[in-house]
Amino acid sequence: MPLIKDNAFVENTFAHVADEETLPEGAIVVSLKRFQAEREMLLARNTPLGLRLTSDQSPEALGPDVYHFAVIELEFPKFKDGRGYSWARQLRQRMGYKGELRAVGEVLRDQWLFMHRVGIDAFEVRPGTRIEDFRAAMAEQTVFYQPASDRVRNVLDLRHSRPARIAAE
Amino acid sequence: MPQVLTANRLSDGEVVYLAPDGTWVEGIDAAQVVNDADAALATGQQAERDRKIVHAYLFDITPNHRPMKMREIIRAAGPTVRTDLGKQAR
Amino acid sequence: MYRYDEFDQKLVDERVAQFRGQVARRLSGELNEEEFKPLRLMNGLYLQLHAYMLRVAIPYGTLSSRQLKMLAHIARKYDKDYAHFTTRQNLQYNWPKLADVPDILADLATVEMHAIQTSGNCIRNVTSDHFAGAAADEVDDPRIWSEIIRQWSTFHPEFSYLPRKFKIAVTAAPKDRAAIKVHDIGIIIRRDPSGALAFDVYVGGGQGRTPLIGHLIGEGIAAADLLAYLEATMRVYNQYGRRDNLYKSRIKILVHQIGADEMRRQVAAEFAEVKQHGALALPQAEIDRINAYFLDPAFEKLAEEDLTAQRKTKAFAAWLDTNVAKHKAAGYAIVTVSLKPIGGIPGDANADQMDLVADLAQRLSFDEIRVSHEQNLVLAHVRQRDLFGLWQALDKANLATANYALITDIIACPGLDYCDLANARSINIAQALSQRFADLDRQRNIGELKLKISGCINACGHHHVGHIGILGVDKKGVEYYQISLGGSGAEDASVGEILGPAFGEADVPDAIEKLIDTYLAARQPGERFLDTYRRLGIQPFREKLYAAH
Repeated sequence: MPLIKDNAFVENTFAHVADEETLPEGAIVVSLKRFQAEREMLLARNTPLGLRLTSDQSPEALGPDVYHFAVIELEFPKFKDGRGYSWARQLRQRMGYKGELRAVGEVLRDQWLFMHRVGIDAFEVRPGTRIEDFRAAMAEQTVFYQPASDRVRNVLDLRHSRPARIAAE
Repeated sequence: MPQVLTANRLSDGEVVYLAPDGTWVEGIDAAQVVNDADAALATGQQAERDRKIVHAYLFDITPNHRPMKMREIIRAAGPTVRTDLGKQAR
Repeated sequence: MYRYDEFDQKLVDERVAQFRGQVARRLSGELNEEEFKPLRLMNGLYLQLHAYMLRVAIPYGTLSSRQLKMLAHIARKYDKDYAHFTTRQNLQYNWPKLADVPDILADLATVEMHAIQTSGNCIRNVTSDHFAGAAADEVDDPRIWSEIIRQWSTFHPEFSYLPRKFKIAVTAAPKDRAAIKVHDIGIIIRRDPSGALAFDVYVGGGQGRTPLIGHLIGEGIAAADLLAYLEATMRVYNQYGRRDNLYKSRIKILVHQIGADEMRRQVAAEFAEVKQHGALALPQAEIDRINAYFLDPAFEKLAEEDLTAQRKTKAFAAWLDTNVAKHKAAGYAIVTVSLKPIGGIPGDANADQMDLVADLAQRLSFDEIRVSHEQNLVLAHVRQRDLFGLWQALDKANLATANYALITDIIACPGLDYCDLANARSINIAQALSQRFADLDRQRNIGELKLKISGCINACGHHHVGHIGILGVDKKGVEYYQISLGGSGAEDASVGEILGPAFGEADVPDAIEKLIDTYLAARQPGERFLDTYRRLGIQPFREKLYAAH
C-alpha cells in the first residue's frame, strides 16, 4: 500500500509481521498481542519498532511503553469506524506520543483531513491514489472551530488574537 | 410471485423500473416482469456501476401488475397525502 | 441573533465547494454509493422513497426574515413550492435533484445557512427552547450556549464517525420546551447560589427503539468548562459505544449497560484530562462576543395591554387564549404560528406562507422567526397592540389555527408517504384525528394534550413522549397503529406505556375518542389528560378501549 507522509509518497521501511511469522531483520510492526507476549525480546532488538492497534484496542494500556515505538499504526477496518480518531487524540494529547502515527486500513480521501487534525501524520492509502488529490483534500477546509492535535490556529485563536495551543506540546 | 426490479435514478432520485429493453423507466406499467431474479439483480448491479441508478431491488407484484406492499404502492404513485405530487399527478 | 463573521462564512463557503467536488466525484464514478452515502448524509442529503431529500439546519430554531425568504425561494426554484419543518428544528425539501444540491447549498450559504451535520453519525443540529430570549422564566438565553456548541461540534475531527448519530438540546428555563431529557445530551442551564451560570448535563436520553430518560451525569459544570465536559463525554462514547449492533449503538445504551455511576466516573476522569490540557477552556471574550448577538432587541417601553378588551371576534379570542404566550417585556407577546391547520400536514408550509411569515416577522417581530420542535413557527417579540392585525394576516393564509398544545397540534413524522425507513404512514392518521377533533370548543375543553405520531420505531414523531403516542407498524403488509399513553417530553419527562393490541387505520380515531371520553369522565378540576392518566394509571383506559374486544 502506498504511504503518504508530509504531503508526499514515502517508502514504507517497516515490515508488518504477522503474529506467527518469524521476525525479519530491520524495522518491524507487530500487533499488541505479540508485543505483550514478546516485550523483552522486542525491546532488546536494535531496530525501529512499530505497533499496530486494532480499532478496539485503547493505547492507554501501553503506559510508558509508548515511547519505545517509532511508529504506531491505528487500524480503520471500515472508514465508518471512528474510534481511531479518539485513540490518536489520546496518544498525542494525553500520552505525549511524538513518533509517527499512521492510519492503515480503509483510509479514504474524505477522511484524511480529519485524521490529520487528530494527530495522524502518515497515511496508508489505496493503490492508485494521486498525490495531487491528497494535497487538494488537505486544503479543502482551512477554517477550524475547535482545537485538536494539529498545529493550526483555530477560529478562537484567530478571533481573539492568541497563538495556537498545540496539543502535543 | 411475479416481481419487478426497481431503483432510484442517481441524478435526481426518481423512482425507476427495469423495462424489457433494459432501460429504466419511470412508470411501473412499462416495467418488466422478472423471471430470473439473479439475472435481474445482476443487471441492477451493473446499472449501479454504470452510475445510472442507486440501490436496485426486487419487489412482489400482483397478477395484474400492481405492487403488493404499501411502500411500493406509494413509490409507484406518490405521497397519498399529496395527490398533486409525484407520478400520480402526471 | 447570531451573525457569521468572516471565519464562519469561509467555513460554510469551503464546505459548499467541497460538497460540489464530492457530487462531481460521485457523478463521475470516482466515488461509489457506499463511499458517497456518508458524505452526502453529513450534508443532510438522503435518498428517500420518491427522490432525494435535503435537510437544512436551523440552528436552535432561530431564523431571520431573510433566511426564511431564502428557504421559500429554494422551495420554488429547486423543489415543489413547499417544505417540511421537522421535530428537530430542521427543514426538509422532499424533491431536490442531486446535481442541484451544490447550488442549493450555495444559495443557503449566502444567508448564513447550511445543511452540515443534519445527518450522519456525527453531532447533529443543536436544538433549543423556541421561546428563548422571550420567555419570562429563563435564566439566560440558551441560544448563546447552543451557538457555542454548534461551532465546537461543526466538523469536529474526532467526532464525525461516531457509533451513531448524536443529538444535543439546551434549555435555560425550568419549563423544558426543548425535550432535553430525551436527547443524547440534554443541558439545563441554571444559576448557582452565587449567581454564576451552572450547567447540568443529562446524558443517555433518547427515543427510538429503546426509549430512555437521560441521567444527570455532570452537575453544575462551569461555563468555561462546558466544551471540555462535552468533549470528555463524546470521547468516552466514541471509544466505548457499541459498534457491533446498529440498535445498540446510541450513547443511551452505553449508559444503560455500564450504569450512570460508571459513566459519571469515566467522563469525570476524561474531563479532568481535557480540562488540565486547557485548550478547550472557553475564553470569556468569546462568551461575551456571542452573548452580544443575543442581547434583547430594542423593546419599546410599553404598558401591558388589556387583552380582554381586544377580543374582537370569537376566533381571535380563541387564538389569543391558546397561541399567545406571556413575554418577558411588558406590552409584548410570544405568538405561535400554527402549522397544523385542521386536516393539514403537520409542519408543512408552502413558499407563499414562508414569505408571508418572513414579512410579518420583519414588520412586527424584530425580524426574527423561531421554529419549534413541535413543528410550528414562532414570532417571539410581537407588540400586544399588533396582535389583531397579525392574526388577521395569518388567518388569511391559514396560519392562525388556534390549537397550540391542543389535541390537533399534532406532531407527525413524514412516515411512509415520504420516508424510506417508515413502516406505516403517519400524516394520514394526523389528518384523520385533526378532522375528528376539529371543533375548537371541544379541543379547548379537552385542554393541553400532546399527541405525537411516528411511522416507525425510530420515533421521529416523538410518540414515546406523547401524552398520547401513536406508532405505525406493519403487520403482513397492512398498516396498524399502536397506542401508548402517559409520555412526556417536558421537565416531567416520562416514556409512554403501550395500551394493548394495535388498531387498523380506520379504527384509530374511534380509539382515541374513547380515550378522551374516558379522561373527560374521570378528570378532576384542573387536570390535564396526562395528570388524570398519572393519577389513575393505564387500567381504566385499557378497560374502556378493549372492553368490547
